[in-house]
Amino acid sequence: MGEGPADGEAEARMASYKARLTKDLDEWIAAGLVPAAHRGAILDRVSDGRRIDASAALAVIGGLLLGAAAIAFVAANWGAIPRLPRFGLMVGLFLAMAGGGAWAARVGRPLLSNTLLAVAALVYAAAIGLTGQIFDIAGDPQRALRSAGLAAALLTIAGRSSAAGVVALALFGFGEFAGRFDGGESRWLIFAAPVGMGLAWLWNSKPLAHASALALIVGLVAAIAQFERWGATSLLASAAVLALLAGRARQLGERRTALIFLLWFVWGALVFYGVAGFDEFKGGALIAHRAAWLIISGAVIALGMHDRQGMVTAAGVVSMIAAVCTILFDLGLGLMTAAGLFAVCALIALIAGGLTRRRIKA
Amino acid sequence: MIRNLPLRIAAAAVVLVLLLVGVVLRENGARAAGREVLLPMEAVDPRDLLTGHYVALRLSQQLALSQPCPRERTTFESGDWIGLKPAQGHYRFVGVGKTRQAALSGGAELAVRGGVYCSRTAFGDAEADVVTLDIGVDRFHADQDEAQAIEKALRERRQGEAPAFAVVSVGEDGRARLKGVIVGGKRTDLTWW
Repeated sequence: MGEGPADGEAEARMASYKARLTKDLDEWIAAGLVPAAHRGAILDRVSDGRRIDASAALAVIGGLLLGAAAIAFVAANWGAIPRLPRFGLMVGLFLAMAGGGAWAARVGRPLLSNTLLAVAALVYAAAIGLTGQIFDIAGDPQRALRSAGLAAALLTIAGRSSAAGVVALALFGFGEFAGRFDGGESRWLIFAAPVGMGLAWLWNSKPLAHASALALIVGLVAAIAQFERWGATSLLASAAVLALLAGRARQLGERRTALIFLLWFVWGALVFYGVAGFDEFKGGALIAHRAAWLIISGAVIALGMHDRQGMVTAAGVVSMIAAVCTILFDLGLGLMTAAGLFAVCALIALIAGGLTRRRIKA
Repeated sequence: MIRNLPLRIAAAAVVLVLLLVGVVLRENGARAAGREVLLPMEAVDPRDLLTGHYVALRLSQQLALSQPCPRERTTFESGDWIGLKPAQGHYRFVGVGKTRQAALSGGAELAVRGGVYCSRTAFGDAEADVVTLDIGVDRFHADQDEAQAIEKALRERRQGEAPAFAVVSVGEDGRARLKGVIVGGKRTDLTWW
């Protein structure tokens, strides 16, 4: 979330670091490497991660329940409330959320500000729909969702809110699917996703990194659907783009957002590559695709194990299994042969999983 | 923390509210300024979905035997135009075209953005073409009691009774905006309240 450069992340790391340090320290003391008297002093040098106390948790739950009660009350009396006050209610609710976000930013509560701005973005999206209903304004659902996405994007930039950014990407994503998906419609997500990735990088936001990386993959799917006639070519091109981005993310090092991008792009590239070979290839091209699929999957497994990235290894293993299954399907093998090969694949997956786990423990 | 962050958030919120209010005012202005047109309608049913209670409207007209019904189905989203002309106190479908000029060319007096679809319906022993207009006006929002009363009145209408109409405003841009409905001779308008 937009907690400032790595604030929340650093605290979470610190908490897990302290747990690891405590365990290691006890082992070092038992081995006589560190005097037992220094244990307390060493641990005191490492702060605990931020913890939400019970009163704050109860206040949040109370606030949410109060909000739910207010919404239920308004919903129960919606028909009885005249049009203009209904509109005023919605605008008031939005202003209250955005105002709360501004206040929280002023008093130095970035997490609260971030959350309230995301809620404000959602309220504004609802307000667009309800305004159409209140005043019988006919509209295009895609345009409404995109307008709501733009509003959320404005709140994201203005309030430095990564959570509002996630809402914006989600609204743009729904906008791609509203109306006719595979026709000559315009596409927005493919352009919004890189902006989200840039902000996730700048703000070191994990949720926004996940949302924007996923948005890029979905955006590519939407773009491919628009230019359907390109078929396998566009799928392979997308796989190549994601593979290049994954390579770039890997070069950027150990930063958490870079790792998140790496994981999503590896999975996305493998899925695009696999799907590209389902329909159009024949003869030599088909054999080349399958052979390359096996090699790529093996390379991804090796990369994941080398970098100690379990999810990358898992992507390679899943891709390898999918490739083998597809080859079996291509060959039209009997059920017994297929069963045997599936068992071998399952064994490979289990062994790879076991090795990965052992490496992580080590 | 960025020093002017609260100010930026407040400014963004104000801009968004002004945009929303602007849309409402612009739509109401266009509705008031447009040419008022009565279109025969049927009610489908009042629903209670996320958007609240409304009467779903179907703007259908029976065509004369000699009048051809367009075989190709078009929709409001496809951006076509429908030609209309006044007859017996309301507006009748004349034809459909890709442009405003094409829609007006068949003797129509008014063109509205939208699409149409045809269906063959039995009227007693005879059959006739019925054209349904898709002009982006497909529901009338009302509170539950009002929506159900309108729907009931529409369903209980007997043959020979006054037909029901959707009152729409057709603006300079060719878009139709709902102003109200007339059921059983009683007109219900959309108001600020």
